[in-house]
Amino acid sequence: MRRLTLSRGAFIALILVLCLAGCRRKGRLSVETVEEGDPQLVSMIHAADPRAAIQLVRGFYDVEQNSWRWTMGKFTVTLRPPAGAAHKGAALELKFSLPDAVIDNVKAVRLTGSINGVAMDGESYQKAGEHLYSRDVPASSLGGEAVTVDFALDKFLSAGMVEQRELGIVMTTVGLIPK
Amino acid sequence: MRLAARAGVWILPPLFSLAVYWPGLWAWFQQDDFAWLGLHLSIHEPSDFWRAMFAPMAQGTIRPLSERAFFLTFHALFGLDALPFRVAVFATQCVNLALLLSIVRRMTGSRGAALVAAIVWAANPALGVPMSWTSSYNQILCATFLLGAFRCWLQYVDSGQRRWYVAQAAIFVAGFGALEINAVYPALVAAHVACCARSRWRAALPLFVVSAAYGLLRTSVVEPAVAGPYVMHFDAELPVTLGRYWFAVLGASRLDELPAVAPWRTWTDGAAWLLCGAIAGFVATRLWRRDWPAAIGVLWFGALIAPVLPLRDHFSDYYLTLPALGLALVAGWAWSSARRTGARAAVLALAGIYVTLSAPLGRAIADYNRDRSDAVRNLVLGVARAHELHPGKTILLSGVGTDLFWSGVFDKPFRILGVNDVWLAPGSEENIGRHPELGEVGDFVFPAGPALRVLAREKAVVYAAGGDRLRNVTPTWHKLALQRWKPELARRVDAGNEAFSDQLGPGWYPIEGGYRWMSARAVVWLAGPTGGGQKLRIAGFCPAAQLSNGLVRLTIRADGESIGTATLETPDAPFENSFPLPATLTGREKVEFVLDVDRAFVPPGDGRQLGAAFGIISIR
Repeated sequence: MRRLTLSRGAFIALILVLCLAGCRRKGRLSVETVEEGDPQLVSMIHAADPRAAIQLVRGFYDVEQNSWRWTMGKFTVTLRPPAGAAHKGAALELKFSLPDAVIDNVKAVRLTGSINGVAMDGESYQKAGEHLYSRDVPASSLGGEAVTVDFALDKFLSAGMVEQRELGIVMTTVGLIPK
Repeated sequence: MRLAARAGVWILPPLFSLAVYWPGLWAWFQQDDFAWLGLHLSIHEPSDFWRAMFAPMAQGTIRPLSERAFFLTFHALFGLDALPFRVAVFATQCVNLALLLSIVRRMTGSRGAALVAAIVWAANPALGVPMSWTSSYNQILCATFLLGAFRCWLQYVDSGQRRWYVAQAAIFVAGFGALEINAVYPALVAAHVACCARSRWRAALPLFVVSAAYGLLRTSVVEPAVAGPYVMHFDAELPVTLGRYWFAVLGASRLDELPAVAPWRTWTDGAAWLLCGAIAGFVATRLWRRDWPAAIGVLWFGALIAPVLPLRDHFSDYYLTLPALGLALVAGWAWSSARRTGARAAVLALAGIYVTLSAPLGRAIADYNRDRSDAVRNLVLGVARAHELHPGKTILLSGVGTDLFWSGVFDKPFRILGVNDVWLAPGSEENIGRHPELGEVGDFVFPAGPALRVLAREKAVVYAAGGDRLRNVTPTWHKLALQRWKPELARRVDAGNEAFSDQLGPGWYPIEGGYRWMSARAVVWLAGPTGGGQKLRIAGFCPAAQLSNGLVRLTIRADGESIGTATLETPDAPFENSFPLPATLTGREKVEFVLDVDRAFVPPGDGRQLGAAFGIISIR
């Protein structure tokens, strides 16, 4: 009988410890927000930077591994032209990778871009791995406080091919580099 | 030493469960949790309480103990502190493991078999969801009732004492408050009678009568689903679904949809085939030797999975929480049947393979739900903080992705904190995956035109989700929005929200409780439809007093042309109607809709002529 009491007592003690751990006072929950005042747009966006996420206009999924984001077949960002770009122009750079899963299915991808509706030359990619899409942008396209950059892929993984999401490329950074 | 070993049998399974599902103890709320946490908002008078407790909700389910009472009580005591909820789930699971230990010990006479069974059940990845998502507490609590009742049944079989039979019957009946699957309890008892206690067959019969009565009662109050994933299919797919669940309970499941689980897939598939062969061989051998109790585990699995097999389009791993008890019984019986050292080593090896592959799966699911609910917590409590900082302002959320939307926005968690004017920022819908079977993302998006207007009047703030905290990005977002959109009319107006008052013309009264009354005639302006086939949709509420003198007819004209008449006829109920729009309205910047009721009423002591109370008016 004593043995029975001890073993069951240990079990009941475990439950009591669990219950006591749960009995915390009500009303202590709060999460602070970041009140930034008037944050500036940036010229270079890192996929994982929460301050720049607002400039990822459309066609991006959540950050993964705290470093990159999948895009859809079309995606758009807003960038601040770097200082002096309105006179000297700038270079648009998109760093991304093409996973094997994409290349295995689509064989080749052609990426095209446009700034404020002005098309730039596209480029084709046939190999998996890291790539850089870089184009000179004339000064005439870089006036104003911000420019909208649209990208499009001719082939991508449509929803349901590999997973439920439509998947394009894996973006790490995109931005305008001063000349 | 023997004392420590005996105590270890009791303590090891709960500690093992705690270790595997530890992240689940710290998970916050998500998805359906918010529907149950907000249940108290629907209770205004005593009769509402009974409706909240027992009216069919969420796919026609009635689970007063595991959902309604659980969430109402714990929310009243602890608010949105999730830890007490989680502790209750873990404590209940500890009780379940103790009951399972006791049952297997009683059936096999072996403490080792009891320990093996309890560990096998605790390790099953199907438990990953219930052990880390509070809304699926129904599975854990149902196990308590099933195992508790069955333990009393065993006492009755042993002793013949009527009080144990009454106790098991009482626990069985109470179990209907946890989960509908409780109805298969008589089949569990029948399996035991057939294999171990045939002289007690008469005692099992009344249990079937209770389940049949429950089934009749439920079908009389719950409409069967006619569309969507909860439609029941009694067709040739049933064996296929059974096979999928059988392999899933052995560890090979579609859990690879979770990124954290994907690397395990190859191993779990191979192990599932190995275990499947071993179980088939063991059960066949024992039955050949007329060792009938060896079949109980398989029979329990079949009985407990049977109710969900017709849900062909809603395969869910956590539905295996209860059927996995059958697997545990098989494992326990295999241990007790293995007399020789070699046989026991084989059982231990198989159980070891199963636990080694299954427990990390369960852990990965618990990790996933903890991380997912953390993001929801940051969003929901962040919105509450933003509301404190900017009282009276509309809150717009940008950067909400697919997962965060469906886990932390769709079930309207903000209303539980008294924050009702929260919307997704315009354009958010472009980054959120669609699930039309669940709902429309667009219903949560604040239209661009009104957004620009309320921001210009400093009546709104914009916060960006992502990262540990919400970020106030109002000025930057406003600048970008001015580049992207014009302050045009919206196609969706919430009459009960001041931000849309610019689009309401003559004939409207001030907002009352999320609605706005019109007089006998009222005007609303919307942007015209974007394409053919779109409809004007109106939604509102019809108080009983409005119908005291008969039905009310509501006629609508669009730019002078009648588009239809709706009849308000259900007292104290929301109404929703839609009207096809003429193609000639397509593309117009502004369409004037005139709403007329054939009979307004004047509430006593009010003096106003009231036509109808409106919420959302939209073109879709």
